[in-house]
Amino acid sequence: MRELARLVEDLDAQLARVREGGGAKARERHVARGKLLPRERVDRLLDPGAPFLELSALAAHDLYDSEAPGAGIVTGVGRVSGRECVIVANDATVKGGTYYPMTVKKHLRAQEVALHNHLPCVYLVDSGGAYLPLQEDVFPDREHFGRIFFNQATMSSLGIAQIAAVMGSCTAGGAYVPAMSDECVIVREQGTIFLGGPPLVKAATGEEVTAEELGGGDVHSRTSGVTDHLADDDAHALRIVRRIVSTLAPKAPSPWQRQAVQPPAADPGGLYHVVPVDPRTPYDVREVVTRLVDGSRLQEFKQLYGQTLVCGFAHVQGHPVGIVANNGILFSESALKGAHFVELCDQRKIPLVFLQNISGFMVGRDYEAGGIAKHGAKLVTAVSTARVPKLTVIIGGSFGAGNYGMCGRAYSPRFLWMWPNARISVMGGEQAATVMETVGRPEVGATLKDQYERQGHPYFATARLWDDGVIDPLDTRDVLGLALSACANAPLEDVRYGVFRM
Amino acid sequence: MFESVLIANRGEISRRVTRTLRRLGIRSIAVFADADAGAPHVREADDAVRVASYLDIGAVLQAAREAGARAVHPGYGFLSEDAAFARACAAAGLVFVGPSAEAIELMGDKVRAKAVAEAAGLPVVPSYTLDEARAAAGDYPLLVKAAAGGGGRGMRVVASPGELDACVAAARREVQAGFGDPTSLRSEGVFVERFLPRVRHLEVQVIGAVSLGERECSLQRRHQKLVEEAPSPAVSPALRERLGEEAVALARAAGYSNAGTVEFLADADDPTTHYFLECNARLQVEHPVTELVTGLDLVECQLRVAAGEPLGFDRVQLRGHAIEARVNAENAAAGFLPSAGTVLAYTRSSQARIDDAIEAGSIVGTDYDSLLAKVITHAHDRATALAKLDRALADTAILGVTTNTGFVRSLLALDAVRAGELDTGLVERVAVPGPALGHDDVARAAAQIEAAAEPASDDPFARTDGWRLGGARAPSWWRLSVDGGDAVDVAVAPGEAPHPRWRWARGGDTLWLGRDGHAWRVRTPSVEEAHQGAVAGDLRAPMPGSVLLVAVAAGDAVAAGDPVVVLESMKMELSIVAPAAGVVAEIGVAVGDRVKQGQALARVELPDA
Repeated sequence: MRELARLVEDLDAQLARVREGGGAKARERHVARGKLLPRERVDRLLDPGAPFLELSALAAHDLYDSEAPGAGIVTGVGRVSGRECVIVANDATVKGGTYYPMTVKKHLRAQEVALHNHLPCVYLVDSGGAYLPLQEDVFPDREHFGRIFFNQATMSSLGIAQIAAVMGSCTAGGAYVPAMSDECVIVREQGTIFLGGPPLVKAATGEEVTAEELGGGDVHSRTSGVTDHLADDDAHALRIVRRIVSTLAPKAPSPWQRQAVQPPAADPGGLYHVVPVDPRTPYDVREVVTRLVDGSRLQEFKQLYGQTLVCGFAHVQGHPVGIVANNGILFSESALKGAHFVELCDQRKIPLVFLQNISGFMVGRDYEAGGIAKHGAKLVTAVSTARVPKLTVIIGGSFGAGNYGMCGRAYSPRFLWMWPNARISVMGGEQAATVMETVGRPEVGATLKDQYERQGHPYFATARLWDDGVIDPLDTRDVLGLALSACANAPLEDVRYGVFRM
Repeated sequence: MFESVLIANRGEISRRVTRTLRRLGIRSIAVFADADAGAPHVREADDAVRVASYLDIGAVLQAAREAGARAVHPGYGFLSEDAAFARACAAAGLVFVGPSAEAIELMGDKVRAKAVAEAAGLPVVPSYTLDEARAAAGDYPLLVKAAAGGGGRGMRVVASPGELDACVAAARREVQAGFGDPTSLRSEGVFVERFLPRVRHLEVQVIGAVSLGERECSLQRRHQKLVEEAPSPAVSPALRERLGEEAVALARAAGYSNAGTVEFLADADDPTTHYFLECNARLQVEHPVTELVTGLDLVECQLRVAAGEPLGFDRVQLRGHAIEARVNAENAAAGFLPSAGTVLAYTRSSQARIDDAIEAGSIVGTDYDSLLAKVITHAHDRATALAKLDRALADTAILGVTTNTGFVRSLLALDAVRAGELDTGLVERVAVPGPALGHDDVARAAAQIEAAAEPASDDPFARTDGWRLGGARAPSWWRLSVDGGDAVDVAVAPGEAPHPRWRWARGGDTLWLGRDGHAWRVRTPSVEEAHQGAVAGDLRAPMPGSVLLVAVAAGDAVAAGDPVVVLESMKMELSIVAPAAGVVAEIGVAVGDRVKQGQALARVELPDA
């Protein structure tokens, strides 16, 4: 078996493990209460058989003593009543759906996807609130729990619908998810919303009250008006949500036009064979591109110039795209070519797809003297400021400033994924070791090498939300197509400059 | 033989007559009312002429003149037993393919027909005048029949003398409604007969003075035939001989020259005890079973007789057994009420004789007879003919209109039917089991069909294969209601396909499914339909006030919208109604009570809440 296929096999095993949530016992307990499991909630919410582009599936991988598979929350983009929505579903089988730091990060990232792509948000709430032992990384900071509600208010003000279904507890801060939503549903004798639960109430005022009396569906649908719809059960609540989505204002027209989909002429299965697992082994990135794009057709730009960067127009599942793919180290010419091409795509409202496999910019006296720093800066500037959607797939190495020029996470691509063979760090482990040796700290160099190897691994990265997920190379085409359809929901602003030829 | 024949009819019988005309090289002329302009019977004929109505004698004769017809075949129903039409044909120089006007008139009047039969030596049911019936309290139940009725119209069983007058009036009304034109009633009378509780319906087909053997038509609902067979499983060769002689004797006595059917009621257990019922001076709906066992083409025989040609036989040999099932647009589950709609899909069996008049796109209304198709099988013995008919009905799928196909299959499977232990009350007396497939099975098939449908576009999000990361595929979820029943949740695994025997067609928001002769309507219910419980049975005061009226008591059944409590508030009367059908579980207030806003007034227990 090919090495890449072996990595994918492990990835599939990780995904399968995460889909089990908090384990068999917790699932049984959950289901015994008449509740649906979070992924079944998502399945039933979606249009029948619709795809679900899950985000950050392996979040919190190997963190928190591996007690929080998927960080206890399922997020992604799926179609509900004909409309692409971001769905955020707590997994109460994982520590009662409480928020670990990575849970917060994953929830916020899903909201960011909704904001960037103008996607209505559906929250399927079933959470005990913040995970108290880790409150310092959950509660106080700017990108912590409170940001969830700030985002809800902000998105609602932009006309991005916020819809919640309360399918379990919704305590304290969590109570604000439905309360901050435009329209919400609660499940009778199952969903509860209160700022303070019965024990807290008893401690504070001595009042004895059941959870259902305090904040059950009847109270909130008949008396408090916190919720708008009372559902019999999960399935009913999800159907009410579907109906709510069907009443939303129509989405903006797509900024670009799709054409009929054509499968690639080159067998995508060949990806396992053409991509070497060691990022240091060179290969022609066109072998990858032709296996991803419609009809395997790539219309190259400046094919004869700056050849270590392949730029060209293509279509992915009918969507027009500008492909920017590394084919070796970045030279000044490659950077200039990339900057020019990014500007073209921006002018033409063509989304950009970056295929990252980059060990960095060329170094050396001649190159510094040739101004590679300022040429690289042009690429970084073009990438930073292009308003068309940018999608990044790290298909190999992602090191140093190459990560910047090729639209790494810091450049806010609409989505970013890694292949299981990818590596990401400020530089390669060996180079870091060499640098430390050179500055007279060889003992640090030795540990750095191990550290870089470990921290550069895609599981390490995805556990911390440095990406939106590790994906099977064979899924790349589908993932890009879905992401582009999601991106098409957001209108584009006007470009204020002409194309600067480089 | 005639050069051309006009068929004064529509539907399957018009097509059936056309088939014989074509085989004999005779030019066929159809007529059509506006609603039938594109119907198969119009397309298949050599010529077709529009008429205002199939009952409009003037229009039909005008059509015959225009198209140059030499003869008119009336089919059954419509003008087939209208002596005035037969006379008008003769007056217009057209040959009427049927008995003489006089014979029609005589046979059309059941009182006179009975007298003729009695005189010809046929056994007849003891009958009563209205006055005699009023006096004969000991002979009830009796049967009231309108003299001009037919096919069960105007028949009423009377249990006691007190009900007699009402039944007589109802019988008259029914006949007038059925014929549309009260002047066509040639005898205003109704008559009263002894009522035999368990009888077989036997009838003998005659052509000229030849008996073609009997048919048994005991499987009836609402006094209308559903399944007919030849020969009868209850008739011995000796009885067959006797019935034939009686039928021919009547035909002779009535001066009868063409095809006709002499009907008898026979004791279900001992059919040698039988009574003359009536004589139909036309081709019968169920004539194909006689054709299959005799090898004759009865329409051809009719034409030969009408053209004065010899039939070429004076007795027939019966071969094997034939059974016909009538496929009607009717809802067997709702008292056989006629149904209507557009035929969305129609699959026929290739293993039976099918006389039909529908195709995909046909509009089935309630203006005409509900007969859509006749499925007829023939085999060397009755059991095989029944088995073949069962298979043929299982192959039949009519979607878009509710039919009795599945019901007839279930009926044919009953032990009594298979044993030939028939009587005319059987269909309405026994419980005919429903289809083996339940709503869950149907909903699953419907979901599988929906799930396998091509995505509406090639947008990546429009795919329907449950795509998930890492090669996983999620099930698709469907909530469906079958025939208006409770919603069923179905998860369809990726790649799950419906059984190949399912047929389906879409009409508006309804998916019609057919399998094994049965058909179902499947819809996605609205959130409200599927969850009446969501509105909950707790009734609360929407505003403060006083209780003016408590309309129900605990334990009462209520329908959606029924008032439960009436409040007076702000000088207005406010009805608090049941949100859905259910049973009142609790009344929490009494008349005169002051209630606060939101106070519980009553609770209605809702099913499945």
